[in-house]
Amino acid sequence: MKFSRRQFLQLGGSTALATSVGCDSTISEQLWPYTGGPHQVGSSFFSPSSESIDLISHHLNRLTFGPRPSAEIQKQFFQKTNERRLSDYERVSSLGETTEEAIEAYIKEQLQPDKIDDSFCDFYLQCFETLVLPRGELFEYQEKLLLTELTCATLMRSVLSERQLQEVMIQFWTDHFNIDQSKGDCRWLKAWDDREVIRKHALGKFPELLRASALSPAMLWYLDGRKNVKENQEDRPNENYARELLELHTLGVHGGYTQDDVEQVARCLTGWRVQGRKSGNFYASDIGKVGFRKDLHDDGEKKILGRVVPAGLGKGDLDRVLDIVSQHPSTAKHIATKLCMRFIADEPPQDAVSTVAASFQRSGGDICRTLQTLFQTGQFQDNKGNKFKRPFNFLVSSLRATGATINRTNDSWHLDRHPLGKYLLRMGDAPFQYPTPDGYPQEISPWLGTLLWRWDFALKLSQNEIKGIKIDKQQQQEENVGGADQLIAHFLGRRATDAEQKTYGESGNGLALLLASPAFQMC
Amino acid sequence: MRGGADGLTLVPPIGDSDYWRKRPVLAVNENTVVRLEGEKRFGLHPLLAGLTEPYSNGDLAVIHCVGSEDSTRSHFEAQDLMEHGGVNTPGGWLGRFLRARPGIRGGPLSAVAFGKSIPECLRGAPSVTALQSLDDFSLGSNIGQFIEQLDSLYGCWGKDVALHSAGMDTIKAIRCIEKLDRKSYQPEHGAEYSDHPFSRGLSQVAQLIKAKVGLDVASVDLNGWDSHWAQDILMDQLISELSQGLQAFYRDLGQKWMETVSVVVMTEFGRRLYMNSSLGTDHGRGSVMFVMGGGVKGGRILSDWKGLKDDVLEGRGDLPVTTNYRNVLVPILERHGAHDLSGVFLEYELSPLLL
Repeated sequence: MKFSRRQFLQLGGSTALATSVGCDSTISEQLWPYTGGPHQVGSSFFSPSSESIDLISHHLNRLTFGPRPSAEIQKQFFQKTNERRLSDYERVSSLGETTEEAIEAYIKEQLQPDKIDDSFCDFYLQCFETLVLPRGELFEYQEKLLLTELTCATLMRSVLSERQLQEVMIQFWTDHFNIDQSKGDCRWLKAWDDREVIRKHALGKFPELLRASALSPAMLWYLDGRKNVKENQEDRPNENYARELLELHTLGVHGGYTQDDVEQVARCLTGWRVQGRKSGNFYASDIGKVGFRKDLHDDGEKKILGRVVPAGLGKGDLDRVLDIVSQHPSTAKHIATKLCMRFIADEPPQDAVSTVAASFQRSGGDICRTLQTLFQTGQFQDNKGNKFKRPFNFLVSSLRATGATINRTNDSWHLDRHPLGKYLLRMGDAPFQYPTPDGYPQEISPWLGTLLWRWDFALKLSQNEIKGIKIDKQQQQEENVGGADQLIAHFLGRRATDAEQKTYGESGNGLALLLASPAFQMC
Repeated sequence: MRGGADGLTLVPPIGDSDYWRKRPVLAVNENTVVRLEGEKRFGLHPLLAGLTEPYSNGDLAVIHCVGSEDSTRSHFEAQDLMEHGGVNTPGGWLGRFLRARPGIRGGPLSAVAFGKSIPECLRGAPSVTALQSLDDFSLGSNIGQFIEQLDSLYGCWGKDVALHSAGMDTIKAIRCIEKLDRKSYQPEHGAEYSDHPFSRGLSQVAQLIKAKVGLDVASVDLNGWDSHWAQDILMDQLISELSQGLQAFYRDLGQKWMETVSVVVMTEFGRRLYMNSSLGTDHGRGSVMFVMGGGVKGGRILSDWKGLKDDVLEGRGDLPVTTNYRNVLVPILERHGAHDLSGVFLEYELSPLLL
């Protein structure tokens, strides 16, 4: 039985697909002196047609937060003419003569984010005033506002940015160098860490990322590095950061270090301080500034992983420690394992891990080259549709797949009153809020209790019941699109089976059921 | 108690002079510490006073110097080992326990985790649901047909068995809770739960128990015990919540229910005896466990206490583990119907405590 797209959507009592993105708030009206913001009008599908997930859909699933339909978009508010944006599937297909060439070109493009025009997303982000503040000025803002803006900006970048692989890697490194925003001055400084550590180095060199993180004032707060001092002979170092540096950030828990190494690393890192908030006669620009106090540093000789750090290096100890740990082969293996878990499978094939680790080690921790190696492995090409979308990724991929309109609802500074923030909190996947330093898990099992909320979101999104988010019914243009089977293929990355077509077509709520389906939870 | 709760603060060894000598700053106040009848060696932290009621009724036992064999002092390794009940063991010990009981098959609400995610100890349970509140459990009215359709989609989803099971569990749980009267719960016997998520979690566990929805195990986390700095300030609030929550739960259930309900309180490791440079303590080894109800022979503090001399302490000054946590759990699981515990705690020679 064939259903037309209109039938499919009408049966649902809800319709889908197409979009505009804008701000409905007073601030946005000042920014965009006309209603609605930049518009996307109309949409259509150019969908995969093979029985299993095809290679282009596979790459879109893994390198991005999910494929979008095509749309008419008005890029700048002063432009009168609309520009047609192809669906992601169609655009990637058009990048090469063959599928392989197209994919190669797409990966190359995504690995050079600075060359990708992202003006549409940038334009939207102007709503968030705290994103560009100098470090000291962050402290003039309410911490709740900072968290809400940072979270919403992260969500919106994941939905809107054309630099999708960069956003995916930002999510990865945010977890790898996890900081819970609620601890101490992290409430202000995480925003700076996000910009200057994670985003800046997400596709850069691992040693530079690691160094930026080690000297990030938010990290010094989060893992007590700022409290790790040796003032008197009997002072014992605070081992918190040193341990996580070895266990989580570099070598991995079975990477071959001992309790003694932890202590020696902690000794090397004594004396790094962060300028606090209530210290009296400082200009605002000094708050959160990181500095080294030689008098609080343990300057004796240390031995780390069999290598001697001579006495008297002072602040030079830090670079010595980071060199030793970032060049250690266990670090390459640890990072490779985590990358393969993210991009290939929860239990990553050891062949792939070895290949990726070798590339990481050879390139001195060059993240782009490491990723390129990963995407070329046979194991990456073969493992399709086997990764469970964690809640954040489920929400974002739903919004992308439906081309939903998202207003910036800034009537509250509280994330728990934000329509999308609420879902993230209930499903336990709100960015910057994971309490322990290991970051949100990447594998399926911890997330299996979240299905109820996914189904709830699917229902409400399809029925336009989420405040500030809209799937546009009026802009449906029947002539642009194929039947329900095309729509389903767009969501699943493959042709629907006859049984699936029948279930969705007859459901009475096709779109909600698609979003809630087991197939759409996977990527 | 995630984060590594300091057993030396929760249940201070007031009879050991080394405790006062080696913890001059962070020791509990000698004047306000709760002294227990017939117990010279240990007292309770003043804010744990709520536990004296079950203790003196003989319904609460404390085990000291307890922990696991994991000596990495890593939160994740220690929690992992403790929750899995072994190294490289599939699933968690509670999950395996639920499968090990003969002739009992868990219903949709057999295992409930109050929190955002499912803890590792419940992995592998026949059915497990994470929820933050019983109120969460509704998709609104008129969703009968939608649930039917999901039932058929997840029912025939063969690619990922875990996803298939999670879908079926969620559907069953939705149907079961739809029948509960969630709004009108009144705790009994003058029990007062606070608004803290820990207390709220316990009150909802109590509600599920009394409603007889088929609850076998529940987990509630009280997080944040990782007191690397300003330990006193950080722990005081947590200890109050722990005390108030457990006391309210004990009163609410009353004698009748507490006979059949066991409450176990545990943490991944204790903390170092010596203070660090920031008025805190770093990761240590042995800590305490509390066992309440379920027929436990309480009113006792069980401990193979070896003192706090330097040659007794482990590593840089950590309370040694003299009782493995499994040996505390074994008698409890046996009272709850598990006969063969070799399938629950794998590759470990058990020598259960007499609890």
